[in-house]
Amino acid sequence: MRVMLFGTCLVDTFFPEAGEATVRLLRRFGAEPVFPKGQTCCGQPAFNAGYEAQARAAAEHFLREFDGDDPIVTPSGSCAAMVKHHYPRLFRDDPSLLAKAKRAGERIHELTQFLVHVAKAHEAGLRGVGTVTYHASCHLTRSLGVREEPLTLLSSLNGATFIPMPDAARCCGFGGTFMAKLPEISCALADEKAASIEATGADTVTGCDSGCLMNIADAMRRRGTKIRVAHIAQLLAEGL
Amino acid sequence: MSDTDRERLFLENAAIAAAGTHSVSGTGDLLAVLGRVVAMDSPVYCPGVTELEKAAAPLFPVRAADYAAAAVTVEEVFGAIAETGTIVCVSAGGRAVQAGLLPAHHVAIVRRERIFGTMDDLFAAVSSAPPTNMTLVTGPSRTADIELTLAIGVHGPEKLDVIVV
Amino acid sequence: MSPEQTSLAFRENSVRALGDSALRAAMKQATDTFGTKRADAFAPVADLEALRDRASAIREDVLANLPMYVDRFVASATRAGAAVHRANDAAAAREIIRKILADRGARRIVKGKSMVSEEVELNSHLEAAGMEVVETDLGEYIIQMEGETPSHIIVPAIHKNRRQVGRLFADRLGVPYSDDPQVLTKIARKALREKFLSADAGISGANFAAADTGSLILLTNEGNGRMVTSVPKLHVAILSIEKMLPSLTDLPAFLRLLPRSATGQTITSYVSVITGTRKAGDATGAEELHIVLLDNGRTEMLAGESRDILKCIRCGACMNVCPVYRTVGGHAYGWTYPGPMGMILTTLLTGMKMSHPLVDASTLCGACVDVCPVRVPLVDLILGLRRRKVREGFADPRERRGMEAFGKVVASPTLFGLGQRLAGAFWPVVRALGGKDVAGRMPAPAKTPLRRRLP
Repeated sequence: MRVMLFGTCLVDTFFPEAGEATVRLLRRFGAEPVFPKGQTCCGQPAFNAGYEAQARAAAEHFLREFDGDDPIVTPSGSCAAMVKHHYPRLFRDDPSLLAKAKRAGERIHELTQFLVHVAKAHEAGLRGVGTVTYHASCHLTRSLGVREEPLTLLSSLNGATFIPMPDAARCCGFGGTFMAKLPEISCALADEKAASIEATGADTVTGCDSGCLMNIADAMRRRGTKIRVAHIAQLLAEGL
Repeated sequence: MSDTDRERLFLENAAIAAAGTHSVSGTGDLLAVLGRVVAMDSPVYCPGVTELEKAAAPLFPVRAADYAAAAVTVEEVFGAIAETGTIVCVSAGGRAVQAGLLPAHHVAIVRRERIFGTMDDLFAAVSSAPPTNMTLVTGPSRTADIELTLAIGVHGPEKLDVIVV
Repeated sequence: MSPEQTSLAFRENSVRALGDSALRAAMKQATDTFGTKRADAFAPVADLEALRDRASAIREDVLANLPMYVDRFVASATRAGAAVHRANDAAAAREIIRKILADRGARRIVKGKSMVSEEVELNSHLEAAGMEVVETDLGEYIIQMEGETPSHIIVPAIHKNRRQVGRLFADRLGVPYSDDPQVLTKIARKALREKFLSADAGISGANFAAADTGSLILLTNEGNGRMVTSVPKLHVAILSIEKMLPSLTDLPAFLRLLPRSATGQTITSYVSVITGTRKAGDATGAEELHIVLLDNGRTEMLAGESRDILKCIRCGACMNVCPVYRTVGGHAYGWTYPGPMGMILTTLLTGMKMSHPLVDASTLCGACVDVCPVRVPLVDLILGLRRRKVREGFADPRERRGMEAFGKVVASPTLFGLGQRLAGAFWPVVRALGGKDVAGRMPAPAKTPLRRRLP
């Protein structure tokens, strides 16, 4: 089956390995990913900061690049949530774009949603190693309602031990532009999250959203902690 | 919900809220329990208005004329709510809600047929003509204002006993 | 005490709070406790979502018909013997209450907790007129003694630990030092009992008001609400207009939600339902009841896009789960109401010019939306206020320029790719310019971005 891959601006620019891992996973499970070369950003940074016009510009571009009917897969809960929940508002004044936006919202899957519900990847006997804990990103969990899928996938890794983190769904302090506007609070929250991770004793922490993982990695760096921070796509692809 | 279930639920929930709970049948039992529960507390304020209050009053040799000076109030209350373990005090008929509020110990007598099943039942009964003052009382007074540590007995009573007759 | 609003200094306030280890410890302990208590309290509740839906629907009905419910309340309360006053703004409310008290020669006033009385800065106005106002809620009593404002809408002294309270009582009341909450509570009980019995008047707020019966409903645990409203002969109640419920029979839906959401209790120790003044045959109760209904911008808010904040029933659950609030405490927000509901209500009541940094005080994590018993769409409201902040010109100019550039870059793959290359090549410069706060916390861009790795 053909799927369209939305890499996301963060993965594209800072964590391309997670994007490549996503491609390997999709291919392994029978999906042929197509990466529209002109894609940019879903518009979240502008939308969350109150810049509706700029968010709409990004969204309109997204709808052009991802026009069609194929499923869209993205390694980001917050980007999937943006398309699903906020795109309709951006196009409330344009019936044709509104229809495309709603359709895009139906077509888009966050990666673990696709892997569990469509690809049944948790039944594929993927391998893992060491001990892993999981940070449940806010938009993924509360906006998209993706709670079980990442856990299902992680627990299915033969050879790896999954250690749940207390307050796994507590915000890490990234919040998009929040980290730039209120960096002191953002760092304090990241520190608390890092402490929770360290307390699990796991050698790896994973999640589905690069923004959170980047923020967590920074806290680890400041604290001198040597825990590996990896996007779930990478962990799963390594187990192929 | 049967009457027995309602009473049981009321007593269970009142106990969870830290009230002392007692169930008696008949005035004789009531007086025995009152004697135990009030014990050495003195002076006692008892309005002596209802039949049960009139029966109870002679138990207490030292009576306060006013609830403000009393160590314990013994009174019959309007009703109770099983859902929450609550007693209902109203100001109608010459009664003072403060009587159960100012002394350190409140002993509330409630007839079992006056136990409402739910809060909805109570409000349905009173909302066409609510009394001036109605207080739903669940357990003794409390606060967690200091470090969220529970402290019993703030401005209202430190001890609440409910006796179902 | 009526301090100035310091919401414009939210970031500075936060930084100061972050350095206050006693505050951080108190906030962490408190919010962790609240989280557990709320979860435990709702665990046995059969259909929480249905309860929330019902409460939300009742509140929406109230907002959709607010003027009618307010009129109905005025009529019912008046019939029951109360004198009802409508106060358009804070100044009007303060003056109405001062006059009622002054006309009757009231000197000593006992007061139950009322956030709306803080909103209108009532105490300082009465004190300036020579009256003694005694806060009787233990938390309010503590902060009044300390000369502070509440930092949480349910537990005003949440930011204080027992040793601080012990030292305060020892200093001000001349009692021996103790840091045992039971002992401290008894000290307060004794000190305040004397005030209750000698007060000329009682001032209270109200959690709800029933339009059909004209009743005021107060939820307390301490018993002070009951004392303040029934011991003195004169009772003055102040509440904001959105506190209406259509009928007294709607109350149970909220009694099942508010105490559990606020403190994890099934029900508060006292629920007082006050309907008018003492009637023939009553032994006690206030002889005179004055009810002040405060607008202070709420009618205007009803007509705007942020109206849903008026559904709020002041339970405090949102601030208890908010990652920002639990880290910096309530004072950082700089006004009466903190946390998620506070940042929204403060901005609407005091204006964007006085409050705009507050709209950024959120990571949009949505934890508040999960717990709001009446389904206030808090994250959507915050997003709406951010859009307003940008529209009305309160956004940081550098941010605005950055976002305008962003708007162009995201619509052009060429510019986007160029931006990636430039950022990559000039990362050390970007880092130096952007500072350690942003660029310093991000990794360098990948040498080869994803779009150049894939076919």
